[in-house]
Amino acid sequence: MGFELNRFQGEVDEELICPICSGVLEDPLQAPVCEHAFCKTCIHEWISRQPTCPVDRQHITSAQLRQVPRILRNLLSRLSINCDNAQYGCNRTLKLDTLTSHLEECEYNPKRPLPCEQGCGLIIPKDELKDHNCVKELRTLISKQQQKFNDFQQELTEQRFIINEQKRELQLLKDFMRAMRISNPAMRAIADAMERDEVLRWSNSLTRARVTRWGGMISTPDEVLQLIIKRTLSEVGCPSHIIDDLMENCHERRWPPGLCSLETRQNNRRHYENYVCKRVPGKQAVLVLSCDNTHMSEDMMVEPGLVMIFAHGIE
Amino acid sequence: MANIAAQRIKREFKEVIKSEEVAKCAIKVELVNDNYTELKGEIAGPPDTPYEGGNFVLEIRVPETYPFNPPKVRFITKIWHPNISSVTGAICLDILKDQWAAAMTLRTVLLSLQALLSAAEPDDPQDAVVAKQFKENIDMFQMTARHWTNVYAGGPHINTEFNEKIKRLQDMGVDDHQARVALSSYNWDLERATEQLFS
Repeated sequence: MGFELNRFQGEVDEELICPICSGVLEDPLQAPVCEHAFCKTCIHEWISRQPTCPVDRQHITSAQLRQVPRILRNLLSRLSINCDNAQYGCNRTLKLDTLTSHLEECEYNPKRPLPCEQGCGLIIPKDELKDHNCVKELRTLISKQQQKFNDFQQELTEQRFIINEQKRELQLLKDFMRAMRISNPAMRAIADAMERDEVLRWSNSLTRARVTRWGGMISTPDEVLQLIIKRTLSEVGCPSHIIDDLMENCHERRWPPGLCSLETRQNNRRHYENYVCKRVPGKQAVLVLSCDNTHMSEDMMVEPGLVMIFAHGIE
Repeated sequence: MANIAAQRIKREFKEVIKSEEVAKCAIKVELVNDNYTELKGEIAGPPDTPYEGGNFVLEIRVPETYPFNPPKVRFITKIWHPNISSVTGAICLDILKDQWAAAMTLRTVLLSLQALLSAAEPDDPQDAVVAKQFKENIDMFQMTARHWTNVYAGGPHINTEFNEKIKRLQDMGVDDHQARVALSSYNWDLERATEQLFS
């Protein structure tokens, strides 16, 4: 609905009046052919009852309504209007196009949100401030939040139940798979191929790492360090059938023959640069997967690969 | 009353007051209550019609949903016209029904009603008796309409013959309006009107 005519300074041209509400056009739209202009809300309300132009009854639909020409919009924006809150004491006169921004900050707006200064800190419309009771409001707030909290709790319980159900089903499926794999050699081959593909896909999703100081390799990482690395691997999607083996192989007791003693390590130092290493995000560690390192000699690799943990020197 | 309806009616009220038709005494509008939901309209009978010289009063009720729905208008002054009920004053006019458009105003409604008085639509009647007379005996219709205008709307043409017939029925104890309706409906045939009234 348009702006009341008596809020404007001076004469308003007849062309700027909405024929439906007889106020000054607000968010005007025009009919496609006859170009009669109306307030957006007025014309939508009318079309919902009857798909015709309210002035000449030509057939129109909501979808055919167009923005009015720039000249009309400019003429409208130049009009001077009194603030909506004039009755509450605001005596500002504004150009129509600045009215909205003024209303947002008009201090005479009886609904302007203000913080309560009695201590509760809630934001309250200005006109409700005098009847405001901190304790009452806060109690309502608490009970609302309690309700929300209870709802969440209930949802959590339900979700947990669903997850457990799914875990059980998954376990069942795994058991089936295992049984089929044992009883049928063809299945075994398919399952092995699938696992290999999974490792390859995962490996391709990781970025290459560069080791600048091979000497920083930790040969006997402790439990805590191993756990941290394992969690990171799991987070970046390490296939579950290799994660335990990879972690086992991070300790020198499981390293390949070419790395297993200080002496062999010193002898093979020149081959280190040939390793294809993948990043373990955020950690001073690299992944050396056998599928990435088929070019290395057998005594330099173990299946399915290994995690090398460093004190420093990873890029 | 919805804000939009009140805003519209206030403005239209002023529009009618300022219009040149009011200056020529062709239309008039008055407030009945303070909240603009009910108004009293008045139109002058158009020249060269049986309604010439008469003033016809209208009841105008503005619905809450105005101007998305038309105002409810009926004649308070009794009138003999094919598209207006001689009993209730209800009007058969498309713009007051499905052909209403939101940009129409009190002024255009009053002018349309005035136009309806000059150009009846007997094929779309509100009063079947009047419409039948209009189609079958246009002279009789015009005389009757002129007589009604004289009696109810202050028109200048007195029909002594008609008045005498009404007087005869009044003497028999019939109410003046009832007598006029009966006589008008039977083309001023006193015998048939009497028969109808006393059967």
